[in-house]
Amino acid sequence: MDKKYRTYICTGCGIGDALDVKNLCAVPEEDGVSVKTHPFLCGKEGVDMLNADIKDEGINTLIIAACSRRVNYDVFKFDGCIVDRVNLREQVVWSHPRSEFPALAEDQIDDGVHFDRLEMLAQDYMRMGLARVKKVKLPEPYLLENVSRRILVIGGGITGISAAIDAAELGYEVTIVEKEAALGGYAAKVRRQLPLADPYESAISPIIQSRIDKLKNYSNITVKTETLVARIAGQPGEFTVTFKKPGERIEFDVPYPLPPEMKVDENGKELDNEKLAEVFAEYNEGRKDILTLDPSGELYGAVIVAAGWRPYQSKNGEFAHLGFGDIPDVVTNVQFEEIAAKGKIVRPSDGKDARTVVFVQSPGKGDDDADFDYCGSVTSLVSLKQAGYVREDYSDGKAYLFYQHMRTPGLTENYYKAAQQDSGIFLTKGSVMGVSKSGSDLVVDADNTLLGEQIRIKADMVVLATGMVPETLDDPVVNLAYRQGPAFRDIGIFGGYADSNFICFPYETQRTGVYSAGAVRRSMTMEECIEDASGAAMKAIQCLDAVNRGVAVHPRYGDMTFPEFFFQRCTQCKRCTEECPFGALDDDAKGTPKPNETRCRRCGTCMGACPERIIGFADYNIDSIGSMVKSIQVPSEDDYEEPPLRILGLICENDAYPALDITGLNRLSYNAEVRFIPVRCLGSVNVIWIKDALSQGMDGVFLMGCKHGDDYQCHFVKGSELADIRMKKIGDALSSLALEEERVAQFEVAIDDYDKLPKIINDFVEMVEGLGPNPFKGF
Amino acid sequence: MTDRYLVEPDLNFIKEVEALGGDTLKKCFQCATCSVVCPISPENKPFPRKEMIAASWGLKDKLVGSADIWLCHHCGDCTTMCPRGAKPGETLSAIRAYAIKEYAAPKALANLVNDPKKLPILVALPAVVFIVLGMILKVFGVDWLNFTPGGDEIVQAHFFHTWLVDLIFVPLSIFVVLIFALSLKNFISDIHKNALLEGKTDKEKIDPAGFIKALGRVIPSILKHSKFSECSENNERATSHMMVLYSFIALFIVTAIFFVALYGLQIHGPYSQWNPVKWLANAAGIALVMGSAFMIKDRLVKTDQSSTYQDWYLLGLVLGLGLTGLLTELTRLGGSAFFAYFFYFVHLMFVFDLFLFLPFSKLAHLVYRTVALSYAEYGNRK
Repeated sequence: MDKKYRTYICTGCGIGDALDVKNLCAVPEEDGVSVKTHPFLCGKEGVDMLNADIKDEGINTLIIAACSRRVNYDVFKFDGCIVDRVNLREQVVWSHPRSEFPALAEDQIDDGVHFDRLEMLAQDYMRMGLARVKKVKLPEPYLLENVSRRILVIGGGITGISAAIDAAELGYEVTIVEKEAALGGYAAKVRRQLPLADPYESAISPIIQSRIDKLKNYSNITVKTETLVARIAGQPGEFTVTFKKPGERIEFDVPYPLPPEMKVDENGKELDNEKLAEVFAEYNEGRKDILTLDPSGELYGAVIVAAGWRPYQSKNGEFAHLGFGDIPDVVTNVQFEEIAAKGKIVRPSDGKDARTVVFVQSPGKGDDDADFDYCGSVTSLVSLKQAGYVREDYSDGKAYLFYQHMRTPGLTENYYKAAQQDSGIFLTKGSVMGVSKSGSDLVVDADNTLLGEQIRIKADMVVLATGMVPETLDDPVVNLAYRQGPAFRDIGIFGGYADSNFICFPYETQRTGVYSAGAVRRSMTMEECIEDASGAAMKAIQCLDAVNRGVAVHPRYGDMTFPEFFFQRCTQCKRCTEECPFGALDDDAKGTPKPNETRCRRCGTCMGACPERIIGFADYNIDSIGSMVKSIQVPSEDDYEEPPLRILGLICENDAYPALDITGLNRLSYNAEVRFIPVRCLGSVNVIWIKDALSQGMDGVFLMGCKHGDDYQCHFVKGSELADIRMKKIGDALSSLALEEERVAQFEVAIDDYDKLPKIINDFVEMVEGLGPNPFKGF
Repeated sequence: MTDRYLVEPDLNFIKEVEALGGDTLKKCFQCATCSVVCPISPENKPFPRKEMIAASWGLKDKLVGSADIWLCHHCGDCTTMCPRGAKPGETLSAIRAYAIKEYAAPKALANLVNDPKKLPILVALPAVVFIVLGMILKVFGVDWLNFTPGGDEIVQAHFFHTWLVDLIFVPLSIFVVLIFALSLKNFISDIHKNALLEGKTDKEKIDPAGFIKALGRVIPSILKHSKFSECSENNERATSHMMVLYSFIALFIVTAIFFVALYGLQIHGPYSQWNPVKWLANAAGIALVMGSAFMIKDRLVKTDQSSTYQDWYLLGLVLGLGLTGLLTELTRLGGSAFFAYFFYFVHLMFVFDLFLFLPFSKLAHLVYRTVALSYAEYGNRK
């Protein structure tokens, strides 16, 4: 595409009042780019002007110097045109009032001492915009040859069945795989289930059979019972899935990555790629490599994981103080449900009526108020439901609930209230100190109860509200033929639940096109599972649509770019394959990465990782950002007696950049020596940009992005964490250049931290000021 | 550990308390707002939070024998502020009603008084007693019951001879006192035991002299309604309650004076309207009617607070007592013999019910609350 450039400067919203527009126009003009100004560019007249220029003059590359890219993005969107937004409003004039950053007096101009910080800031941003548009291309979508629109649902319980019905209802072809011989899962094993509708007061008969019956009405749903997923290879839109029978060993069983100790030789030295491939083949003997597609595999576009849960198995003696294991009449909630489903509640030991039952919500005693592992509101609610069984079976029945936390969120509060009002249900916070046997009775001792003293209860049975362990805890379930391994990565921080901590974005996993729902995501009630199933089905459908159009899924939904590799220069270092948070890349035996475009979320972490800098996107690459960095003017002592500092801020566009805009919106001011460049994710920051900045004399660089760690807020899961590791490593390189490590820093901010940003920025600048100017300045 | 409290909920107790007006008690979720807003609850082990959990757990032993339920004056502040609609005020009221039944003997009488279905029996019983006893005496030639009292003057004694009245009321009073004595013996021993167990007293044993002294210290505050007046929600009830209480005291004094006048000085009624004792009696009668009418109105207006049969029974009785008393006098002064004798008859029936059922009806709070307050004073409940 032959680029025809034009710069448009909007003088509205205070821009024209604060800045000398003539000076600003000089920047593109010096660069040979024509300029137009308009007092109200986003208004009808302004947009008409833009459209006319595009139509009549063939302008196709527009540098719009106005407000933030986060506003009016729909107004300044022109098909077939490259548009860059120079943020003069939020990040220049609104955050740098003339009262604090005064214009020069007549006699101060060009006196070699004074300078106008605000003008410099605006002009730099203008230069950066001009530099960028020269280095970017118009994106074109990545389209698969054939997109499969079928959805695979793993798990035939209430979640899987509901998801299948929801997707089938919308016309999608669905396959359910269930490892058991019959559909239904746990939902088919209960006496009653928690209410699904208003007024949420009483338990209802299980609905699973009606769902299974409904399923049969859909010709576009296929059910495979006694079936497992041996492997899912490929990428969204063209997953090749191999099924197998439980217990079977087949050649398309998924291979596992080598454990770390096998990747090194006896001296602890890393094996070379050739040797690694050899060891890998040996380790996975009898299983085809991930890059070999099963010719008889079935094609699917997206996957819903509804593998559910299994009852918690206590470790030996774990609940000994509660008599579990020793006393047969101390059972788990699941065992109790089994008894209840069979008929009247009787004791397992002697078949006697269980008229008095104690339900224990928390195994912790004394100061320890820990609940059972893998519990949740569902275990609280189930105990209330099971207390109801005791009351239902025996008119003189008594059910006691001891809890540290009673969780009945939302309308389930009604269920709690209803149970509470049953005259035979007794609820109290408290620690259960011990359960022992006295004759045929059980004796339960509890402290710190609402009754205000140490109490004792004689009971027929004790029920422990143990938790729901996700199937993904120790089984990959999805068996992905991905180089990073068959399972969801790093779910240990979620207790093995197939979650990804995408704030506000449930169902997402770290594997594109694979969505989780139901008890595999967290412990939940059947009502929540049904709702979850709908959510995951919608996400799967959305993914199919995105793949079909060649655009990214969440969180860069609609992004048409994808990483492009300049393979001639690839050194097979595998860093991109290993660091991609989504396992999008599979390297071959030589170590060359194989991109799977539809697995990619376009965060650019691979671009940030690549030491050869051979990865880039059409509109976002090493050169485009590098050129922006280089276009920043760094004044030296040759220009001014005391030249101002220049600091580069690489700003994550997910949370930090909007936060900065809000800072401007609130007219909070901060240092004018800092130049911001938005980046897709801190993970995409390549250290070369930092080196470029410092070697051209900039005095400091900071990265501003999302929180990392166990409760990360990174929209791409690992980006800010990887950036943190890289920034720590860059310190050594800096000290070899005799530059202080402190000149490079990373800040974690959240989107609502806008009021804290000025202090963070100003403190950093002040610290750099203390270090003195970059000695490379002026070279 | 042997000092653990063995929890044994009594489901029937819960059911009964619910039936006695505590039907909301299970709604309590133990936030303790009630204890915080209660203007008269003590600092140490405040009520009614602990009573609410004990009630919802059916722990009868912790409630019936606790003095705390009587320290509550049913201000209603807790009920108004309760976020859960558990109505602690009403629940404690219901527990008190249960406690009255529990301590009263014989149980048959207690059940009679507290069962709305048996109200006709309560109404009929005094009439039957009077008429049957009168008739039996007639058989033996003692003519104390005259259905056709003549004479120029309307004299109640011509209808029911004072001897007949007192033949019934004197033993009745002794009976009531005996019942109360027995009930109180158990009651005091229970509340002491409970207070020791829950650490609400600093006295190991009850010293009768000290207890009587405490009673002496409490009576003025009862008369002043100083606790009752601290309530905000039902503050106006304190005034009407005071009117009723003072009327009863005045009427007791009047009755005592006339008893002495009749039997000691042989001065027969009716007494002159100029007699200062009569003034007191008339004033008390009017205050009784007004006080009870106010209380009835108050309960009818406050629809968010529930009232039970026990409340209405007592209020009806008091109002009826006052009204029939005044009407008897007015019709007598107005010279309407039939109405004068009729109202007198009804009035006697009310007095009979009031006396006989004193230990079994809500009116027993007069005794239990006084004792509980004295005990709290004696045991330094703070």
